[in-house]
This record gives sequence, structure tokens and C-alpha cells, in this order.
Amino acid sequence: MKSTRRTFLAGASALGAGTLLIAAGTGRFGTAWAQDGKTLVFAAAGTVTSSWDPSSHTIAPQITAEALVFGRLTKCLMKPDNPGEILPDLALEWKVIDKFTLEYKLRQGVKFHDGKEFKAEDVKATYEYASQPSRPASAWYPGQVEVEIVDDYTVRLKTEKFGYPALNFWYVSAFLPILSAKDVADPNVLKQRPNGTGAFRYAETKGDQIVFKSNDTFYDGKPEIETLLWTYVPDANTRVLGLLNGQYHLTERLEPEQYESLKAQANIVTNSSLSSENKYLHFRCNKPPFDDVRVRLAAAHAIDRDQVLAVVGEAAKASSSHISPVKFGYVDVPNYPKYDPELCQKLLAEAGFPKGAGLPELEYITSVGFYPKTREYGELITAMLQEQGFPVKLTTLEPAAWEEQIYRRADGQGPGHIIDVGWITGSPEPDLVLRPNYHSKFALINGINDAEIDASLDKERNAGSTEERLKVLQEETLPLLAAKVPSLSLFSSVFLRAMSKNLEGAYFYPNGPIDLSKAKLS
Amino acid sequence: MAFAIEFFLRRISQGLVIVILVAFVIFTLLRVVPGDPIRIILGPMTPASVLEETAKNLGLRDPLLVQFGRFMGQVATGDLGRSFIRGVQGGSAGGSQDAKGYNPESRASVAELIGHALPYSLQLAALGVFFALLIAVPLGLAAGLRAGKWPDRLGLYVSSLFVSLPNIWVGVVLIFLLSAKTGLLPAIGYQGFAYTIIPAMVLAIELSPVMIRAISVSVAANLGEVYFDVGMVRGLSYRTMVGKHVLRNAAVPLLNLFGAQMIGMLLGGLFVVEYIFSYPGIGMLTINAVFQRDFPIIQAVAILASGALVAINMLVDFASTTIDRRLKF
Repeated sequence: MKSTRRTFLAGASALGAGTLLIAAGTGRFGTAWAQDGKTLVFAAAGTVTSSWDPSSHTIAPQITAEALVFGRLTKCLMKPDNPGEILPDLALEWKVIDKFTLEYKLRQGVKFHDGKEFKAEDVKATYEYASQPSRPASAWYPGQVEVEIVDDYTVRLKTEKFGYPALNFWYVSAFLPILSAKDVADPNVLKQRPNGTGAFRYAETKGDQIVFKSNDTFYDGKPEIETLLWTYVPDANTRVLGLLNGQYHLTERLEPEQYESLKAQANIVTNSSLSSENKYLHFRCNKPPFDDVRVRLAAAHAIDRDQVLAVVGEAAKASSSHISPVKFGYVDVPNYPKYDPELCQKLLAEAGFPKGAGLPELEYITSVGFYPKTREYGELITAMLQEQGFPVKLTTLEPAAWEEQIYRRADGQGPGHIIDVGWITGSPEPDLVLRPNYHSKFALINGINDAEIDASLDKERNAGSTEERLKVLQEETLPLLAAKVPSLSLFSSVFLRAMSKNLEGAYFYPNGPIDLSKAKLS
Repeated sequence: MAFAIEFFLRRISQGLVIVILVAFVIFTLLRVVPGDPIRIILGPMTPASVLEETAKNLGLRDPLLVQFGRFMGQVATGDLGRSFIRGVQGGSAGGSQDAKGYNPESRASVAELIGHALPYSLQLAALGVFFALLIAVPLGLAAGLRAGKWPDRLGLYVSSLFVSLPNIWVGVVLIFLLSAKTGLLPAIGYQGFAYTIIPAMVLAIELSPVMIRAISVSVAANLGEVYFDVGMVRGLSYRTMVGKHVLRNAAVPLLNLFGAQMIGMLLGGLFVVEYIFSYPGIGMLTINAVFQRDFPIIQAVAILASGALVAINMLVDFASTTIDRRLKF
């Protein structure tokens, strides 16, 4: 048989059409498979851990997943215009009894997903277990705590024995998940499945997909969404494409370009909100040259943060403070280091490094592939520092390698000299950021050891009232951190999300969790 | 029969050496590049002392050769170990600490993880090769039989086009066109066989250029051989000569190509394609393991991949000698 262009094209067309017909016959059409109106598919950017015990980890994606399942004593929406507002959740009332005692009146008639009734014993078991220093998530607790059961529905948090004011739980209680006392008694059960009082109950894990079902007995009414598929999708482009073809209804941590392009899509709604995350450049303060505050300040004055903001675009908001605007006590600090090359040179000369002469080679370590634009603004900052005479080289690492480089080692030292890190925590409580990073007892990354900073952090923590604490934070602690710059906060992160236009009623917390209890898919 | 036994014995012993070498190189590289898995196993805010103690308990601080010897001893008994990161339910995971420290029993068995992912990858690979053959056989044959004419040029143009398309880009474009825009096919993850079709198309576009060129060159070369002219002179029809002799002889280079090049390309392609499509196969498992420094999974996949390459090459060589008795391996 002699083949011609015509016979060839006819054959190729028939083959192509046949393939597509087979395809259409073997599967449902792409945009229809998750459109039953009762199932919501969330494409998550991060993974959970192998343990469902909330005290076993400090992993942000799992905190997001747990927020669906567990209730908390109180709720903080952390809106920038009123970050300190506290709403009831499992507690209906709360008050200060004395400096070392807080009292909570609990909601009655609430049930855990396994049917057990929620009572004071659960608060006691949770707080006393999770606040033990040996638990990884005790980092979220201001310290160990004793819980006194007044009656089945009244508890008192007592901190005198541990030497800090109970007021430190005022905001943090909106972030600490409440477990069942029955589960706490058996850590093996605790890690196998989450059992809370929240709007969704855990059903099963299928590989990288977690199935949650609506909680019929949720105190605030059964959610309209019956099934929530929490799907880990590591690649940001895949998450966007899945949203475009209707397989996902909601996705998070978008790159600014993706966010921009999704704005033009008719079936997609974009959402951005200020987060509780700040992006920092931590200086290793316990080794030269950044053990000298003048060199740290010089570096801070070499960086034009407006240019950094221009590079990061919609994923960043200007802030001049070491905490995010959704944290209690936030204020744009007047003495926060501004771009000032002259002052930079003056400080370098005072420190004995005129125009950078004599400085050792400095390594600036950043990650690529998790936070937006880190490579781009890393290169920009490197150029700015080099312009002022800092001999900086930029090291970009993928997230796993970067994570291993961040924290100080057993000998107190960490690799490199400048580390790019984001720090995100729930609740408006500022100490979740300030103590781990700037108190010499912890100083997890920068290794700062400064008696004045320690004293100021202790002073704000030990304040007798929220008013007094606010004053100390805004007038002493935050300005002191700006003056001593153990790290430079570059900006506050803005979280970029996108969702199907059929999804309504979701509320996004600034630290990642999503309240879907009132959400519906039309 | 004696030839077959001698052939397989020799090739298996050579293959074992290659697999052990590959295992050692991967094992060493994993421990030399930055990224200590212990921080990921236990979580970012774990005290340094706990990190070190757990690392010692896991043997991660032993000398490299000691670690490798222990690992190969395990593998010899058929035990590929447990994932550092993934829980028993198999999902990707970050770091956490059980109430009594790190418990390896709470982590998934690597063999089970691979056993669960492998069928998905085999299905994707098979469909990818099938689609590639659908493209390559007609184009390659036509190009070989009509050397210098338009089918030959068409084969060249299609090969050149396909070989210059990055598979990540092709994947994104196909998802966009066939799934997001037209809704013809599903694309992300896996809920049924239809989810394999678009990723297989991407694989096929990557594999077919090599096949097209190999088939066309091989067929054209056979048409120029003396036996072809002799056959025609002796009265055999063109169709008989092509169908019974040319195709058979042209299959040997294609088989060799499949062993030497295609399997490597297929494996590499699977890794990228599965990641783009969030397809739950070996590629996705491995890429996540690399991100999470999950050494046991990476090591096991490397051993299995090199073992598969060795085995397939061995079978290809054996098949080639069966087809063409002049060949010796």
C-alpha cells in the first residue's frame, strides 16, 4: 500500500480521536469528579507528621490540619485592626483571679469525636501533659502549668510554682488544642488519630491524602461540607492546575505570579491576608563579626527594605518591628534600622572595618522552593551588602538542607553568618516569637546573649496587666530589639490563596489554619 | 541451553557488582551532601542533645563503612528498612517525637511503600511506552521505507520537535489544554485509570524521538543490505521482504536501544512526570524522599532501579542473541 500525505493524516487523525474516545470512556471528565457540593478538596503545600499527638511537633502544616479537628479554650481571629480580640470557643468566660491564676468557665454539652463529654479534666490533662519541657510543642507554652479543677466546668490555670504570670495564657489559650483526658492517658492512642471537639473529625489517611468528615455533634452546628480531603501536593504549579481543572477547591502558599494570573480566571476567587509570619535575616551574634552590635547595625542600614518589598510583591507587607501586625503589642518602631549607607559606613569604621576592610568572608544562607522570592531578594540583599563593603556570598539550599542549617548546634554555633528564616506562630501572643529567638536561654538561631534584652523580655512577660505589658513591649522591648538587631525583620508575609468561586464562608487565620465550619460549596 | 546458563551466570555476577557499586555511591553521597535527616525526623525545634542522641541510636553517626555494611546485611536478608519520615499509614510526614522519643516502629516499611507505589509506575510506564510506539512505529517505519522522501522528513521534524520540548512544560500545557480548559481528562493525582493518560502522553513525547530515529535508521539500513536485493531478485514480494526480514533484523538495534537508553529515560521521565502530576508512583515517592532526606527510601529505590536496569539489559542482550545468532555477549 502506497502511503501519501493524505492517507497518513487520515490515519493519524483516526488514531488521535480513538485515543481520546478511549480516554473519555475510561474516566470521568476532569472537572466533574469532585463537584458533588459536599466534598471539599484542599491542596496543601506541606505535610503532616507520623504522629497525631499535637504536642509531638511544631510543624505548621499539621497545625493547620489539627485546627479542623481540635477545639481550643478561646478563639482569636487576629484581625490587623483588632489583633487582641478574644472570642469564646470551649470556654465561655475567662478572667484573671490574681497574677498567677486565670479562670475559665467551660462550655457544657460539648462532645469529643469519640463520644466522650468534654469537661475540666480534659483541660487539666492537656495542659499539664503538653506543657512538660520534654514535649516538642511545649515551645508554644509560656512555661509549665498546673490546672486546678474547680468543678466539672470550671478550671484555673496556676503558674506561681513555675515563676511566671498566668496572664501569659491570655492569648496562647486560643492556640493550644484541647485533647481528651482519656487519650492523654495513653500516648499510643494519642498519636494514632486525632480526637477533638472541632467541626471535623478524622476518618482515615490514604497515602498523601487525609480524609476528614463533618462532626454531627459540633456545638456550633454540623458543617455543610460533609467530607474534606486534605491532599498534600508539593508542587505549586500542580496545585494551581488542579484548581483550574476543578479537582481542587482550595489551595495555599501561591507564588505572586501565580496569584496574579489566577485573578483573571472566571471560576477562581483569590484571597490574600496578612499573616502572623515575619521574614527575618538572623545574624549569628555569637561569632565575629556579628558579635559586634555596630556591625549588625551597619548591615541593617545597608539594606533597602523597600527594594526587597518590590521584589516580593503581593506576598509581603511593610512592617518595622520584630513581630507581625497581627500580634499583640505590634508597633512600627521609630528607631527601626532604615536604609542609610552613610550611617552604615560610619558604624563599620567605628567597629574597625572601614568600608568593610578586614571583615572575614560572610555566608548568607537562604532556602529556595518554600518561601516566595527568597533567591531573588537574597541576590538583591547580597548586592546591597557587597556595595557597602561586606564580603558576602549567598548560599541557596533546598528546604531540607536549609532546615538543617538554621538552628544552632550542640556547641552553640550555627553555620554561616546571616540566615533567612520565616517564623510563624498562632495566637496574638508575641512571646511565641520573641522568647525563642531573642532570649539568651533559647536564641535558637542567632545565639544572642544580651542581659538587657533578657531583662526586657522578662519584664514584659512578668507584667501584671495587659496594659502594662503593652507599654513595656512597645516602649522598651521592641525598640531595644531594633537598636541591637540580633536579626532584621525584612517584612511581614502576606499569604496568597486561591479557591473555587463556589466556595463561600471560609475564614483564614493568619498562621495558616482555615475555619470551614460555616463554609459551603454551591 | 548451556549457552543460556553460562550467559545468565556471568551476567548476574557482573550485575551484582554494579548494583553494589551503585548502592555504595548513593549511600555515600546521601551522607556527604548537606541535610542531616535527624532534624527532619524529630522536627525543627528539637534540642541539639536530643538530636545527637537519636542520631547515635539510629547509627547515623557511625563510620560510613560500618553503616553501609549494616545496610547491605539488612538488604541481603530482604529487609529494606523503615522510612525515617513516613508514618505507618504511608503519608508524607514532617518531624515529630513520640512520647518515648523516636520509635522506628511508628514509621512505614520501605518495602511496603515501594510495593504500593510500583504498580502505579508500571502502569504509567507501560502506557507511556505504548503511546510512544503508537507514534514511533508508523513514523519510523514510513521514514525508513521512504528515506529521503517526505515521510523521512516528517519523522525528522517530529523527532526534533518532541526532543526539544521540556517534559515539565509539556505536562503543564497538556494539563491546561486537556483538563483545565476542555475537561476531557482528569490529570492530578490518581482516582482511576484515566488519570494515567495525560502523564503517559508526556512520557511518550519524551521517548518517541529516540524510537523514531532508531526505527527509521535501522529499516533504511536493512533496505540497503545485499540480502534485500537478493530476496527481491529471487521473486519475493516487497511486502514479504519488509514484513518477514527487514522488520525482524531492524528489531535488534531497537531492542538494544530499549535496554541501553530507553529504560534510563523512562525512569528519569517517571520521576519528573509523577511529580508534576502528583501521581502516586515510585517517582513521586522518591522525589519526596529526596526533599525529606528519607535515606532508606532513596537507597532502596536506587538499588531497585539499578537492579532493574541490569536485569533488562541482560534480557535484551539475550533476546538479541536469540534473534541474531551472530551476536555474542
